[in-house]
Amino acid sequence: MLHHIQNKVYHVEILPPKQDSEKLEADLELFATKYARVMESGYCACITDNAMGHLAFQGSELIQELDLPVDPEKVMIHLNTFHTKEDLHTILDFCRDKGIRYLLVISGDGSERLPKLQPSDIGAVGVESVTSVELLRYIGRAYPGVFVMGVAFNPYEPEEHEFEKMERKIAAGATFIITQPLIEKNAVVDRLLAKYPEMPVIIEAWMSKKISLLSEAVGYEIPENTEFDPIETLKMLHRLYPTCGVYLSLLGFKTQYHLIADTWT
Amino acid sequence: MKIVVCVKQVPATHDAKIDPETKRIIREGQKAILNPFDTYAVEEGVLLKERFGGEVIILCMGPEKAHESIREAISGGADRGILLSDRAFGGSDTWATSYALAKAIAKIGDVDLVICGKQAIDGDTAQVGPGIAAHLGWLQATYVMKVEDVTAESIRVRRMHEDGYDICELPLPAVLTVVKDINSPRIPSLRGRMAANKAEIPIWKPADIGAELDRIGLNGSPTRVVRTQPPPARHTISKRIVGTSEECARELVRELRLRSIL
Repeated sequence: MLHHIQNKVYHVEILPPKQDSEKLEADLELFATKYARVMESGYCACITDNAMGHLAFQGSELIQELDLPVDPEKVMIHLNTFHTKEDLHTILDFCRDKGIRYLLVISGDGSERLPKLQPSDIGAVGVESVTSVELLRYIGRAYPGVFVMGVAFNPYEPEEHEFEKMERKIAAGATFIITQPLIEKNAVVDRLLAKYPEMPVIIEAWMSKKISLLSEAVGYEIPENTEFDPIETLKMLHRLYPTCGVYLSLLGFKTQYHLIADTWT
Repeated sequence: MKIVVCVKQVPATHDAKIDPETKRIIREGQKAILNPFDTYAVEEGVLLKERFGGEVIILCMGPEKAHESIREAISGGADRGILLSDRAFGGSDTWATSYALAKAIAKIGDVDLVICGKQAIDGDTAQVGPGIAAHLGWLQATYVMKVEDVTAESIRVRRMHEDGYDICELPLPAVLTVVKDINSPRIPSLRGRMAANKAEIPIWKPADIGAELDRIGLNGSPTRVVRTQPPPARHTISKRIVGTSEECARELVRELRLRSIL
């Protein structure tokens, strides 16, 4: 993952079509177009897994059904704990067979309609529920050496707890970190970088102009009419965190994509 | 096994409106969904097919837009669907509906098992499943919470009731109505959704199933809705508990015990 940062490879989030889409064909076409554009740019396409608990199609099945080309260096699949064991293996087997190496392993937001991995499913003992830690450990055991696994870091959670979790995630096999969205310098992320100087850290840049949507993630209210310039903020993040990679969430493919090529200089 | 799953398209609950003149649910222009209880019936049909082989056919009676619900069921793993749709079916009560569905099941032929959700969330009658069994002259088990075993000749199920469950064995063919405890409906795969979008769904008219016109629609419906009214408002008690976390927790437990909730 370090070479992604050294080669200035953006990680571009692509949201899959939702399960309840009323215009599925159009949504699939749009997804394929975005994916192709990320591939052409030499960036890494990061496909979410039921983000925010909204039911959507899996990245692996989209690649399979749409017959999208896979460059192992340019695709990252998010994987959360809201799957049956059978589905989990279907996803992982597909990724392995297609050469998809990068996984972002997260606990996930869930939904009442989604199944949840049980500790007994993956041989986790002494825990009441499966988190990213148990999932990392399981994937490492079941698919030794196959995947490069990253984890999330949330600087807005209670700090000591988050660092304690990070210790366990790294011990379970995580080899890179992606943060929650940053919109300014963050002391907790600074501490993270200082604590793990060898670990590739990718900071998330919020590319939507609707900065108020971040309220829930950051834990404080951001007024709806707050002015926010995502491109300028992205440039600022590069200046503040020159050793980090950048994950672009909610990037506007029509309005912003052509602008990002010149932001990482 | 040839399994028919009967489904219904219903208004999204919060949108349901009653025509004050006809006392019937206004369906035109309303957001519609697959009856939630029917999703368990579909899943059970697909699970049985996966265990024992065969085919799952979705059968639905309703307006032409009800094909959306059939497609949703196909995306969950059913093989094909049939829609009964004609003005002559309009206004059917549960008896006329179950008659029409039974005629369609007879036309499909060689059906081993019919599965329905326990009830539809709009009418809430729970009568169509039993009505189908009556019209077909088959045995039925309602409120099924588990299918224990299936052989070439019979099916053994658990029927849920308030104090426990019954274990029943029925000769096939049979009709089941299922409760939501029976399974967890799967999330449709993309492949399933794409197949469902492309599926051809034949529309059967009364003549196609040999239905007698005086046994369907309003003419075939003995039910008369005399009056409808909303359920009485629920009496709620609100009480704000203040104090430290421990004090609040203690007081909350005391209040719940006082009301025999704990």
